[in-house]
Amino acid sequence: MLRKSLMINPMDSVVMVLEDAKKGDSVVTPKGTVTLVEDVEFAHKASISDMKKGQPVIKYGEEIGYLLKDVSAGSWIHVHNMGCDRGKI
Amino acid sequence: MKQEFMGYKRPNGSVGIRNYLAVIPSVFCANTTVGKIAAQVEGAVALPHAVGCAQVGFDLELTARTLKSMACHPNVGAVIVVGLGCERFNPQELYDAVKENGKPVALFVIQDEGGTTATIRKAVDKAREFKAILDQDRRTPCPLSSLMMGTKCGGTDATSGLAANPAVGNAADRIVAAGGSAILSELNELLGTEDFLARRAVSPQVADKIYSAIYEIEDVLRSGLDPTLPENRNHLISRGNFDGGVSSIVEKALGGVHKSGTSPIVDVIEYAVPPDPSLKGLFLMNYESHDGEVVTGMIGCGAQLVAFTTGRGNPTGHPVAPVIKITGNEKTWRSMEENFDFNASGIISQGRSVEETGEELLELILRIAGGEETTAEKIGGTELFCVGRRHGYHRKSREELWAGHSCPS
Repeated sequence: MLRKSLMINPMDSVVMVLEDAKKGDSVVTPKGTVTLVEDVEFAHKASISDMKKGQPVIKYGEEIGYLLKDVSAGSWIHVHNMGCDRGKI
Repeated sequence: MKQEFMGYKRPNGSVGIRNYLAVIPSVFCANTTVGKIAAQVEGAVALPHAVGCAQVGFDLELTARTLKSMACHPNVGAVIVVGLGCERFNPQELYDAVKENGKPVALFVIQDEGGTTATIRKAVDKAREFKAILDQDRRTPCPLSSLMMGTKCGGTDATSGLAANPAVGNAADRIVAAGGSAILSELNELLGTEDFLARRAVSPQVADKIYSAIYEIEDVLRSGLDPTLPENRNHLISRGNFDGGVSSIVEKALGGVHKSGTSPIVDVIEYAVPPDPSLKGLFLMNYESHDGEVVTGMIGCGAQLVAFTTGRGNPTGHPVAPVIKITGNEKTWRSMEENFDFNASGIISQGRSVEETGEELLELILRIAGGEETTAEKIGGTELFCVGRRHGYHRKSREELWAGHSCPS
């Protein structure tokens, strides 16, 4: 099923999914259609391409964190696979 | 659109949008007495709090300035101060500040009046006398330039950064363009946006203050972290933020900063210290982000109302100033509509523009400034009145704060 999504800035490496989406659903992005490889809840992020551990995650055109593991296109991007050092000890 | 509202012009030139009789304890020991006084006088608001004693230094200073700023706020028409008698924050200091501010004020000290019941009886008599004076006050047309709006997020989800915050930012831009003011704060949630904010400063001096303020908040937070505790004790964002799809403090910051709009930042101001009345525009208030403490600090800086964005939903209100609840989340709007004043979700679901949504929000702001009740006022929410605290932290010099940060270009 096709789900609504939004890329906030053309530089972004993730889109925001605008409705609760299931594994196998598709989202259309400015960089092509991506099939979700897992469930992604409303307002959460999905990757639009395969990315490697350590690569920055870009949203709002800025780095919001970096990947803790390799991910494929259509992955849910959240605290389980994205880190951010700012504000920590 | 008509850029004015019906407000209360105060003798000192400020403008109120409410005309409260405030009953304020100088110390938490007087909270019950204060509550019972306010309950007996229609239209009176009680400002109970947890502080006023056993404090030192900057922490006690924050208490003093917060309580004085609430009492001297333009939304307050008259004040009853209730002290215990032995507290660290002298109730006479609060009384004197209000006296100088030029509004009716009376002081009752429980240890001098002969206990709780006698204090309540005398204070209620005086409060009713003040209320009769306030009832004579009339609203008159006031320009939008006399408005100062605080901006705050609470219960943020990813829709806040997309819809609610941009709508508030647009309304803030409209207020500033009309010659009024807005405040951005919650600096711990702006970590990572300091370069972006400094570029918006009106001068290199203000840019310098922005860096120092953000570095200070980061230092304050770091001083409170404890690696021996479970990891969730050291998180800077809440479980609700994570659940809502926000994955890092920087992601939250980039969404949060939108609520300040695009105006230049004219100065960095301190907690509950109003800027010089001649300076108008967008201000950054130097404080971290406990919802109640920030909202109270902004009101202490002179904000007559606060725009509060929440994707997850939030029922809170403040006893001194209306808090307007705005959501960008259509699901939350539908599930708890009684707690919202404005639905900005059309930006996401219907492709509505930020501009038209911001204009609609400003219309609501003007109506609320003119006396229309917010949902939080209807419910009677007052929990956002919280006095700012900072204990166990020694303020540092610019050199100390900037050390460890790469120097901005």
